[in-house]
Amino acid sequence: MARFLAGRLLMGLLAILATTVAVTLLIHLVPGDPVQIMYAQSQGTTPEQLAEMRHMLGLDRPILEQWLRFVLHLLHGDLGVTIRGQQPVAQLILQRLPNTLALAAASMAIATAIGLPVGFAAAWWRGRWADTALMTVAIAGVSVPHFWLGLILMSVFAVQLEWLPVGGTGWAGLVLPAATLGLSNAAIVARMTRSAMIEVMSQDFVRTAYAKGLLRALVLRRHVLRAGLVPVVTMMAMQFAYMMGGAIVVENIFAWNGIGRLAIEAIFQRDYPVIQGFILVFATTVITVSILLDLLYAVLDPRIRVRG
Amino acid sequence: MFSVLKNLFLRSVVVALPIATAAVPPAVAKDIVWARYGDIDTLDPHRATSTLSLQVWSLIYDTLLATDADGKPVPNIARSWTVSEDGTEYTFKLADGVKCHDGAQLTAEDVKYTVDRAFDAKNPSVTKASWGPIESATVVDPLTITLKLKTPFVAMVPFLADSFSSILCRGNATVGGFGTSAAIGSGPWKLVSWTKGDRIVLAKNPDYRNLGKLAENKGPPYMDRLVITTVPEPQARLAGLRTGVIQVAEPPIDDVPDLQKSKSLNIVVAQNTGQNVFWEFAVHRPPFNDERARKAVAYATDAQAAIDLVYGDLSLREHCPISRGVFGNDQDFCARHGQDHDPAKAIALLKELGYGPDRPLEVTMLVWTGGNREKLAEVFQSQLAEAAIKAKIEIMDIGTMNARVRQENEKPTGIGSMDMMTWSWYDPDILFALWHTPGAYRGFTSPELDAMLDKTRVLADPAARKAAVQDVMAYLLDHAIHVPLYTPGWEWVFAVRPDVQGFHVAPFVYPIFNDVKF
Amino acid sequence: MATGIAGSFWRRLRRNPGGVFGLLVLGLLVGTAALADWIAPYAPTRMGAGHRLTPPSLAHWFGTDEFGRDVLSRVIYGSRLTLLVGAIAVGISLVAGLAVGLTAAYCGGWTERLLMRASDVLFSFTETLIALACVAVLGPSLENAMLAVGLAGIPFYARTCYAAALVECGKPYFEALISAGAGHLRLITLHLLPNVLPTMSVVATLGLSGAVLAAAGLSFLGLGAQPPASEWGAMLSSARELINRAPWLMLFPGGAIALTVLGCNLLGDAIREAMDGRGRT
Repeated sequence: MARFLAGRLLMGLLAILATTVAVTLLIHLVPGDPVQIMYAQSQGTTPEQLAEMRHMLGLDRPILEQWLRFVLHLLHGDLGVTIRGQQPVAQLILQRLPNTLALAAASMAIATAIGLPVGFAAAWWRGRWADTALMTVAIAGVSVPHFWLGLILMSVFAVQLEWLPVGGTGWAGLVLPAATLGLSNAAIVARMTRSAMIEVMSQDFVRTAYAKGLLRALVLRRHVLRAGLVPVVTMMAMQFAYMMGGAIVVENIFAWNGIGRLAIEAIFQRDYPVIQGFILVFATTVITVSILLDLLYAVLDPRIRVRG
Repeated sequence: MFSVLKNLFLRSVVVALPIATAAVPPAVAKDIVWARYGDIDTLDPHRATSTLSLQVWSLIYDTLLATDADGKPVPNIARSWTVSEDGTEYTFKLADGVKCHDGAQLTAEDVKYTVDRAFDAKNPSVTKASWGPIESATVVDPLTITLKLKTPFVAMVPFLADSFSSILCRGNATVGGFGTSAAIGSGPWKLVSWTKGDRIVLAKNPDYRNLGKLAENKGPPYMDRLVITTVPEPQARLAGLRTGVIQVAEPPIDDVPDLQKSKSLNIVVAQNTGQNVFWEFAVHRPPFNDERARKAVAYATDAQAAIDLVYGDLSLREHCPISRGVFGNDQDFCARHGQDHDPAKAIALLKELGYGPDRPLEVTMLVWTGGNREKLAEVFQSQLAEAAIKAKIEIMDIGTMNARVRQENEKPTGIGSMDMMTWSWYDPDILFALWHTPGAYRGFTSPELDAMLDKTRVLADPAARKAAVQDVMAYLLDHAIHVPLYTPGWEWVFAVRPDVQGFHVAPFVYPIFNDVKF
Repeated sequence: MATGIAGSFWRRLRRNPGGVFGLLVLGLLVGTAALADWIAPYAPTRMGAGHRLTPPSLAHWFGTDEFGRDVLSRVIYGSRLTLLVGAIAVGISLVAGLAVGLTAAYCGGWTERLLMRASDVLFSFTETLIALACVAVLGPSLENAMLAVGLAGIPFYARTCYAAALVECGKPYFEALISAGAGHLRLITLHLLPNVLPTMSVVATLGLSGAVLAAAGLSFLGLGAQPPASEWGAMLSSARELINRAPWLMLFPGGAIALTVLGCNLLGDAIREAMDGRGRT
């Protein structure tokens, strides 16, 4: 178990370090002079002043040194300051991160609450019309772009019926964005649950249980679900990544104040420190959650631990 | 088993709850919520120029003078002033008992602090030029201050009514985070917090006295708090207005006619905005270093058709570089000098330069966000395309655009760049700020133009000044340096909930919340 | 009637209603894109082709937008952009993914570990982030969006190719060939590649739907196609403000995206089933 844990943590740390490298390199990949783009607003942009800026940001030093500086600052919790308004990036991002996490969590809850039973039902009634019907709806759901769904939900529930607010903050404002992401992903969850359940149900130990004469329902509850839970947990890691990605667009549609919205604004404003900070935090969040879920996976399925 | 699943589900909800609660700000009963399409750049009046920032400064800070309904300067903190014979010395007498938000008395020291800071050699205000050629600010006594200028500058007086000249209290020098988390002024509203990109929370200043601002209420505002939120989506603002979460906001322009008809929301259209939206060009490199290319763009543009399509009758075609309602504006005079819509002339000029349908002129068109401007840009793009000009639209927020325009002006290479620039000013002195060396964005300058602009600053006689201003405008129009398009141009339409009384907009688009009650 | 493996594959595919539907949709997409100049009633960028914001009518089957442009024509021309973006993005992902996956599976040892670990790390970033980072650096444009989506997909394609190639490398005939001294390139191109292609074709078809969605998403945010391009995602973006006044502006481009993606998904599923031989239903 410890070896497994160590292995996963190492991988995670490696990934985060790789992110810092990518983020350090990012500024240099920008076509044109990034310092000029960033500081064109200040009073002075004479070549001397730009050189000074460049020196201050450390962009004239070797890449390795730049990376070390970045990591050092990172360990102090310093992600630099925004170009516009000179606000600490770390503070800005951490202020909004809980909102994105809330959105992701709520969406996952909805996706699981809808997708799991649907997939389960489809597996139970496999081959019959209910299965086909549910899976048709599921594949349609997978195909619908989540931003389109968001617009439709906004149009129906916020504009036409006025039951819910169009974005903003608070519980009521969370409903539509979470529903958008949740419904989109519910379809994927349903499909995956179904195949996982079918996989499990066709396995030997289940057939043995049937042979022993146990009631179908009992078998299902006691054995299938437990084993079926493993792929569900695996799915959750993927779900979380999907939610975080989808949150970027959905936050924009519904003006939900999370890091996704911050990132898009920063991209349009060419605010590179914010973009760098966002990439780092986003990747770290996804990686961390994925490690945690890997751990959960290991707890549920002892076979994984041995393999490490 | 089911229990495992149930546990997992419940656990995820339990985790989500505190996270989501942290994201929910507490609801307060007596808040005015004003939603805008963008956020301020900074709380420091010396570091930015966007209207979005200006409007908020006018709420937190106060100015020596104020503007009346016609846009003329009247006493405010400064109760009276005298000018020396030669026009280089102004002495202002301040009102007594004006309090800063930190409790200190506002005196001539605070005025001196503000002026000195604006002229600080190392880090001057971005609008330093508009203060005028101030040499020194001298404190005569706690309520009297003298400003000495190098040469006469008549436009300084109206400038002192504008929030670029906001009086900063001395406390700002020592408080941490001035401009980002702190802002000590003497205005009707005190800063509580600024969450960048989200909201600014202001609380009423109980010590405030209205000494000249355009509000009926002579004391502190009626409401407890004013929350200014950033909601980029026009539909989201409209929905917020309808449900009552937002009290004042710019509605989607497309919906304004319907709203006016149905009277479900009150539509307030600002008057005397002094706003001017115009084409300007990166003139230090081809193609726009040649005025024929600039004229071609002007001839190809049909501003009237464009604003009809996008703004209906909410906006007007403007022929002059300074808009109607500002001294010197004369539509007929300007129409004689500018380039009106004539695609044939545009094509002919481009042909001279070697461009045509098989070799279109490629340019970048910079436009700033909000107010349906992306739509306007697309209409212009389509118009220019008919004259063999292929424009790539780049949309960015106003702060970024300002920076980018300057950058394009300083770049020696690259495809042609033009931008839909915008300035709002109460005096023709804006032309000095824009076009006198070194230029607001380091764009076009010339010794001829400089000389003409210098004249406009010193002439006190209105007729003489008007003639000088017209000379400048004629020059700008003849050479297609500043190609006027329309006015007003941004944030001039407000939708207000019917239960909200007392909201109005002072000249130059400064919303007043002192009288608001609901 | 063709016999053998290929023949039975096609028969199974044709019998699958989803597969047939998917093929039809893809065919419709390609056909529309190719014949756009002939079937579109108006030029897609022509402002004032009709009154602004008119609902669907006989003159304008899909209505007009806020500039009076015909929505049907724009959707038709948009199919070209969709096809282009999808093909190029998938192309980039496929070629690069094949290169990485095949190399890793064939070479083994350190190369394998390095490539696959790198791929895993990249994969953990999520495709959205990679695509966003690319566009943030390069600037918003359709070309950059294509590149971004293509790059973002590489880890997934690499992993799948690697897994499939590994199976092949483990087979006895392969080891025999190696010991017989067959050249590297020959082995990879003549033996690994053809056996990996069936799996990769499923991945590519399903990947096409993902690429179309991702690119439309970037355009929706304003980071992809720029005006006056009639890309479906970009059209949805401008429809946002007008959802209550002109819901048809949102309906048709979104529907086109959903239909394309649905077709690709169904086709991909059908191909997978036809190859498997046994029904997974």
